[in-house]
Amino acid sequence: MFYRTAGQFKTSYQADHALFPVRQDAFLLGVILIFAFVIFPLTASEFTFRALLIPVLIYSLAALGLNILTGYAGQLSLGTGAFMGVGAYACYKLITIFPEMNIVVAIAMSGFFSAAIGVLFGLPSLRIKGFYLAIATLAAQFFLVWLFQKWAWLYNYNASGAIQVPNIEMFGITVAGPRATAITQYYFVLCVVCVITFFAINITRGRIGRMWKAVRDMDIAAELVGINLMRSKLMAFFVSSYVVGIAGALFVFLWRGAAEANLFDIPLSFRVLFIAIIGGLGSILGNFLGAILIVALPVIIGSVPQAFGIPLDSAMVEHLNIMIIGALIIAFLIIEPHGLARFWAMIREKFILWPFPH
Amino acid sequence: MEFLNDVLVQPFADMAAAPDFLLQVLWEGLVGGVLYALIALGFVLIYKSSRIFNFAQGIMVVFAALTLVGLYEKGVPALLALPLTLAVMLVLAMTIERVVLRPLVNQPDIILFMATIGITLFLIGFGELIFGGENKVMITEQLFIPTGSIVFEPFGGFVSIEEKDLTAVIGAMVLVAALLVFLNKSKIGRAIRALGDDHQAALSVGISLSTIWVIVWFIAGVIALATGIVWGARAGVSFALEVIAFKALPVLMLGGLESVMGAIIGGLAIGILEKLFEIYWGQPLLGGNTEAWFAYMLALLVLLFRPQGLFGEKIIERV
Amino acid sequence: MKRMLRNAILSSALLAAASVAVPAVAQDEAIYIPNLAYRTGPFAATGTPLMNGQRDYITLLNERDGGLNGVKLEYDECETGYNTEKGVECYEKTKARAVVTQPWSTGITLQVLPKSNVDKIPILAPGYGFSPMADGKVFQWAYNPPSSYWDGASMILKNISDGNLDSLKDKKIAFLHLDHPFGKEPLPLLEVLAEKHGFNLVPIPVGLTEMQNQSAQWLQIRRERPDFVVMWGWGAMNAGAITEAVKTKYPMDQFVGVWWSGHDGDLKLVGDQGKGYRSISWSVPNSEAPLMADIKKYVVDAGKSQINQSEGEFDSVFYQRGLMISVILVEGIKAAQEEFDVRNPSPEQLRWGLENIKLDEARLKELGAEGMLVPFSTSCADHTGHGGGWMLQWDGAKFVKASDLLTPDRTEIEKLEAEKAKEYAEANAPWPVNEECSM
Repeated sequence: MFYRTAGQFKTSYQADHALFPVRQDAFLLGVILIFAFVIFPLTASEFTFRALLIPVLIYSLAALGLNILTGYAGQLSLGTGAFMGVGAYACYKLITIFPEMNIVVAIAMSGFFSAAIGVLFGLPSLRIKGFYLAIATLAAQFFLVWLFQKWAWLYNYNASGAIQVPNIEMFGITVAGPRATAITQYYFVLCVVCVITFFAINITRGRIGRMWKAVRDMDIAAELVGINLMRSKLMAFFVSSYVVGIAGALFVFLWRGAAEANLFDIPLSFRVLFIAIIGGLGSILGNFLGAILIVALPVIIGSVPQAFGIPLDSAMVEHLNIMIIGALIIAFLIIEPHGLARFWAMIREKFILWPFPH
Repeated sequence: MEFLNDVLVQPFADMAAAPDFLLQVLWEGLVGGVLYALIALGFVLIYKSSRIFNFAQGIMVVFAALTLVGLYEKGVPALLALPLTLAVMLVLAMTIERVVLRPLVNQPDIILFMATIGITLFLIGFGELIFGGENKVMITEQLFIPTGSIVFEPFGGFVSIEEKDLTAVIGAMVLVAALLVFLNKSKIGRAIRALGDDHQAALSVGISLSTIWVIVWFIAGVIALATGIVWGARAGVSFALEVIAFKALPVLMLGGLESVMGAIIGGLAIGILEKLFEIYWGQPLLGGNTEAWFAYMLALLVLLFRPQGLFGEKIIERV
Repeated sequence: MKRMLRNAILSSALLAAASVAVPAVAQDEAIYIPNLAYRTGPFAATGTPLMNGQRDYITLLNERDGGLNGVKLEYDECETGYNTEKGVECYEKTKARAVVTQPWSTGITLQVLPKSNVDKIPILAPGYGFSPMADGKVFQWAYNPPSSYWDGASMILKNISDGNLDSLKDKKIAFLHLDHPFGKEPLPLLEVLAEKHGFNLVPIPVGLTEMQNQSAQWLQIRRERPDFVVMWGWGAMNAGAITEAVKTKYPMDQFVGVWWSGHDGDLKLVGDQGKGYRSISWSVPNSEAPLMADIKKYVVDAGKSQINQSEGEFDSVFYQRGLMISVILVEGIKAAQEEFDVRNPSPEQLRWGLENIKLDEARLKELGAEGMLVPFSTSCADHTGHGGGWMLQWDGAKFVKASDLLTPDRTEIEKLEAEKAKEYAEANAPWPVNEECSM
């Protein structure tokens, strides 16, 4: 009833291919954007910003990057964490070498560094496939994290081997560093995420996206119909690592404030991979849904016993938390292997037909 | 020139200058390699029979060792704790088959892979809940594993060999031999290999998929227990052990995902080579800790020339 | 394309906000002391006894004295698993009510430190964290009493050279450390001292994933044949290093660790073979002390403790050090209560309290903890106190005190502290510096 598509006629192909062929979708997106831009900032506490909203956005972006590679181009990667690290360290070097540089420019440029490294480690994908490739990306993961530790130039010879985000101003407002307020950082991240999501949607819908999908579904067949495998695989690595690198720069500059090499180790890669898979491979929306589940859920589970006054000590809560997350992952995979995005798609179908059963 | 000398000449000069030390390095590498091979073997068995890339093998090692030590600490005699732990591993295998694998039959590889990571997380939380997070001492003496060390004195130096490492190497060899006999000669072993070759054909001649899966996961559990005992005897039993799963992955790449021989040879080769590289190249030239990635880089290089690994089955693709 | 998603964010945010809000109003009267604890993960083995000690001292005060000056203390743990990300989340979660932050990892300390000036909550990191935090003018909100890592490194070198660092000339000292901010912390000082006194420093890092299998590192030690091995290890790394040292037949009396590498559990793995291993420490276990008798009576025997008695945790160095850490914190709170005449001091007031801790021998005796902690006092400019420490030596079954009170050689350290503190303030500009402090 609310999602009735009847009566929305398309009179041209162009209209049929629009971003929102169904009017209600556009309306819903508008509501969500109003929530994101107006209502959350008015209501959220600082804890909510820092422990829920900002990380959900940043993890969504990282998962989006990975999803371009794995979900659209079919190349499984376990090195996301390290590529995020490349983005973060590149941004740190840019900011400290050129303190005058605008942070938006620095973040946009740091993506190119991770993109270049991504292409380099994507080269084996021309010969290696499937799990062999996944393990090969682990080579990038372990090597790069090792490099972050050993190459002292990267962290400006800091004694403890960590990078610290200085206070950075943009148009007179502190956006990064210890003095930045959570709400400015939230808006900054939100804008970056919206812009990149917009481009990602259009890339994946267009010629390049369809090329990637062809490679994913059957690369030999794709080659036969004239797709240059090398170009499309490497382009997937490039675009994906670019987005992941930006997510990494945001991760450190707009959220964490400081980082050491171990931060970018394998658990981070797995976390992002979880988000992409639970959310749904080959879907943009899925990344956001997955990030909400994986990032927000532990925070919420952690505060449930307290809220109900159940006296559990924190270690117990943590153990239960890990168990529940593990079990939930399995449960979600069993219930809907195609992820939350498919789940939503099914609900939407139901909505469109409601109240009629068929 | 200086650089070339450091890379190409100096390491070998060092090796020749202290042959006893070289022997020690080789021995340490071999022991490490045996452990990698054991974990890789667990991976291969499961991959062969069910096409599942079982990431949980690492946590199974921890879980098995913890159960053994935990039971002993609760007052169960060591020799009784061992079969009890095996029983726990059997229950674990059955639960995994029933709860996780059966509902996920026919899903894409990556979904199953994710599910095994889910199992890993679950077992971490579950294990810490029951046994606590602290480091535990492996009950080596109670299991009649000798703990002394044998010292040789060749070339005017010394090579010290821990008896428990020696036991580990011999034990692993026996285990692998038994496994090979089991796989090649027994009825169940043939069934496992048949499943590996072709699921549908195996099913159609009456091989029960679920039984075989339980058996395979149980064998992987036995291997995990053996690995846990020897590794735990070296450095104590704690959840930090879980990371050794990552050391076994390049072994798989190098050896091929389906090959039992590949896992063994790949494991030994990586164990020895990474130790040599770390001692003679990594530490003097690169600041150490190269073991974190050396195996991966080596495997990556090999894969560029042989995309299916040294012993893997050639991938034939049909459109 | 992105529909629904933010609705879901909202619902989860509301849920979380609701669940966080409830405890915030629960007990206004009690002083809220959060602790970013870790009882899970690879570092749990060394973390758990410390956290047990911290908790039990607070429990003791509540049970025996009805709190501190009549105000109950509310001890609360937030689990981090030694994970920096979780640690920051815990910090954000607890900071609304917290009077103090106990970050419990050098990594988390480094993350929270820049925020301390903004959030105005003191950080208490006894015996860890960033060594230049000693400079109270720059780090107005951070405290690391009674000794910093640089103090520790200096004391170790002093002890192994019998008080004369020049006697180390041309000797080789291997520095086996965790490849993590914590392990790298003493390196700058060691490098300066190596240059000054002419000894040969060989840093040997141990990666987080290699803690359990250090055969490569110990092969390197065997090749280098250092005269001494100094260890900055934590968690599973200690046990790994000590078993490897036994295996390599490295002489135990030339092997010295920092205070976090002197855990009874790690040494029990090797028992008699670890005899002679030393660890510098600013606390000494003394199960006979009156304080310990009270702990036993009011906390342990009353079933309010989480310690593992069958493993002898009660007598262990780390458990009793945990108690001392809470002693230091409570002294600070008490000083603040008395100075400002309030029942429940604010974080700002506690900052004054932590700057005016006077734990001399008389006070320690009053607390029933004579000889269990180095006597020290803090001031506005000196946030560490530099109380020094003792060498503890493993006798095959337990750690025993093996030296008189050692004090760090401050000349080089002070220079370095000033330099690094200045560097830090510059890198984080604008960084307020408190010039009112006089030395």
